[in-house]
Amino acid sequence: MSVILSIPVLGFISILQSAVVSRLPLNHGTADLVLVVLVAIALQKTSTTSWQWSIVGGLFTDFISGLPFGIFTVSYLIATGIAHIIRKRIWRFSFLMQLLVVFSGTVLSHGMAYMVLFLQGSNISFITALQVVTLPSIILNFMLSLPIFILIQDILEQVHPQE
Amino acid sequence: MNIRFPKSLRIIAISLVAIGILALALSGVFTTFSRWVVSPMTSVQTWVSLQYQGVENFVSASQDIREIRQQNTELEAENARMQAQIVELQQQLVEFKILSALLEFARANPEHQYIGASVIGRDPSPFLNYIIINRGSDDGLRRGMPVVTQNGLAGRIVQVTATGARVSLVTDPITKINVRVEPSRSAAVLSGSITGDITLEQIPQDADVNPGNLILTSGLGGNYPANIIVGQVTSVRSRENDLFQSASVQPVTDFSDLSIVLVITNFEPVDFNPLIPDSGTP
Repeated sequence: MSVILSIPVLGFISILQSAVVSRLPLNHGTADLVLVVLVAIALQKTSTTSWQWSIVGGLFTDFISGLPFGIFTVSYLIATGIAHIIRKRIWRFSFLMQLLVVFSGTVLSHGMAYMVLFLQGSNISFITALQVVTLPSIILNFMLSLPIFILIQDILEQVHPQE
Repeated sequence: MNIRFPKSLRIIAISLVAIGILALALSGVFTTFSRWVVSPMTSVQTWVSLQYQGVENFVSASQDIREIRQQNTELEAENARMQAQIVELQQQLVEFKILSALLEFARANPEHQYIGASVIGRDPSPFLNYIIINRGSDDGLRRGMPVVTQNGLAGRIVQVTATGARVSLVTDPITKINVRVEPSRSAAVLSGSITGDITLEQIPQDADVNPGNLILTSGLGGNYPANIIVGQVTSVRSRENDLFQSASVQPVTDFSDLSIVLVITNFEPVDFNPLIPDSGTP
């Protein structure tokens, strides 16, 4: 998919994340729509520009978020890297791989956010953060993963039809 | 043999026959006869009339059904429009209630100048309790301006763009606000957490703090104006060996349902950094 296309698509998804998804928490966790979309794109065999999409998605989310700039970009790039490794190593990957990468990406981005807040002097309990923020966020991301994975797969099959 | 009568005689004869028949008919002689003739005619006419009405009804009814269906479609569309209008009006009513409450708050606190703003988003990271509002530097907003709701303090602006601003809520884990407890006027520090709970820390051991006491901004530190209500004490934790008491606070603002806020524009946060001596200076 074209890199230019990533700007309006991920821009809209970032707006959707801030305006809608972040207002629908489970306990204190929220889904990361951008991460789920980027992982679904990175896991498709026909996708050739997933790195660029990750950078664009990360930059959009970093612009919207109050966390130090770059945290989302770095965590999305690492999640894309994990997806690429899985894509190369495993011949026939399934939807479970999407869950695995989404889990890794969520833990990674939350870990980085936790570290930043800890360094800024916030006395957040690690166990509390895990229980009330990270685990509910993982569950929400899992719930979003299946429909988004199927949607991205269908779109990419339409864009790059297999012979 | 053909007998030809004069024309006038024929007319008279026919007239007499007609008058005779009429007289007989009026006298009732033809009644039985007419029954024999008229009854089957009536039956036939009734049957024909019924068939005709059936055909007429079929033709006109199909036209009526078309009209009824058209009317039904129009009514359904109107109903949908009315439903949408009701939802819109309900939404406007909620907004109106919030705006009137905000106006009341502004009237009750005339020492401040306010700009109203709508909440258009939240921070994508669940670790930060930030909201995004639709007013920015183009509207005169600046970093550090306090943000309130009709109930009390909501937070302060931490970042401004031309058309939007990011507001750190009082429940944010990094937030620290200097407050005082009423009626004892004890000073304390309010801090947020990732769970959205806010706690009161560094309350002196000798301070008389009880559940139900009000928490107001003290104005110390220069980040917030004084006397803005923040919450109410729900429980107090005090141990003899601790230096300070702590307390749980119920915020007055419902942060899960923020839609419209007021930004206090005539408050200048005080920057103490120039007064802090460098570590190298004697």
